[in-house]
Amino acid sequence: MNEKNADNKQIEILLRKAHLPEPSSKLKERITAEAAKAWKQTSPELPWQTPIRRFITSAAAAVFIIWLANSYSDYVLVRWQSSGGQVVHKQPFDLDVLPEIPYSPFARHLVSTSRKPSMTDVSSFRNYTETMLRVLDEARQNGVSKPPAPAEGRSILLREKSAFDSYSLMQITKG
Amino acid sequence: MLRAALERNDPAAVELMWDRYAGDLFAYLQAVLCSRHDAEDVLQAVFVRIVQKRHRLAKARHINAYVFRIARNEAFSFISRRKRERNVEDVNKSWLIAPEGHKEQNELAEQLQAVLALLPRPQREVIVMKIYRQKTFLEISRLLGLSHNTAASRYRYGMEKLRTLLRDIIS
Repeated sequence: MNEKNADNKQIEILLRKAHLPEPSSKLKERITAEAAKAWKQTSPELPWQTPIRRFITSAAAAVFIIWLANSYSDYVLVRWQSSGGQVVHKQPFDLDVLPEIPYSPFARHLVSTSRKPSMTDVSSFRNYTETMLRVLDEARQNGVSKPPAPAEGRSILLREKSAFDSYSLMQITKG
Repeated sequence: MLRAALERNDPAAVELMWDRYAGDLFAYLQAVLCSRHDAEDVLQAVFVRIVQKRHRLAKARHINAYVFRIARNEAFSFISRRKRERNVEDVNKSWLIAPEGHKEQNELAEQLQAVLALLPRPQREVIVMKIYRQKTFLEISRLLGLSHNTAASRYRYGMEKLRTLLRDIIS
């Protein structure tokens, strides 16, 4: 370490045997004259001009980006239409047959069971009540109940044995 | 004082800027460009640029660093221009001078500037500012926008290279 420091001292001494020239007075005259000329030519910028200029620049950039996005969108649409694409209007899904309901398996089962057709007669109302009672009873005993048989013409979510926590949509129609 | 003159938009600020920065800037530009002649041209461009940006300079938190940043940008544009317009070999590489003007001293100065020119620019900048402008690492780090440790390590690595390059002269 000391050896290195001694070497560095030697190098510094050697380097200091030469020196860098200071700027000459002639150079000073030339440069200050040029700078004074530039001073006169450029007006000082007022403090409020900077934020306004930045705002205008940002607004112009935003408009340009939006215009560019619109143009690109139009261009892509025209290309797609010219290649034979057709717009298809799709009806929204019936809420009763939505494949995914963001609740626990039991809650999903309960929801699917409760989505029965409106009860128009006494027998269907009795069936519905019995089914609900059975579901609740099973839930109380086991935690999760098996889904009951769906009513005629209705869809229901059923647990698939192959994949845990996955459901398949089944359309069950009575005889 | 300089900041006040700039805020008043007083042309006397040019004179103040010269007194405060010309020596350091000239040394720095010579270290970057390895040419006194080119350093003179770039120094003029730097002062013109500073004058054009005086309103920003007046508001700058670190005026010294801002001035040196302008100098650095001007020097780099000059280097790119020089590369485009002419061969780098044509550059007049005279910048270090011998104090007494003896023939031997002049030869030594030429050798030293040739060896310094072989160093990577960042190391050369720090060594020149430290040796020839007697700046501390703290001052160098503030001027060049470096951390104190970076300035010190650049100096150390530069000196190690110089030790190898100047082995014959030292021995």
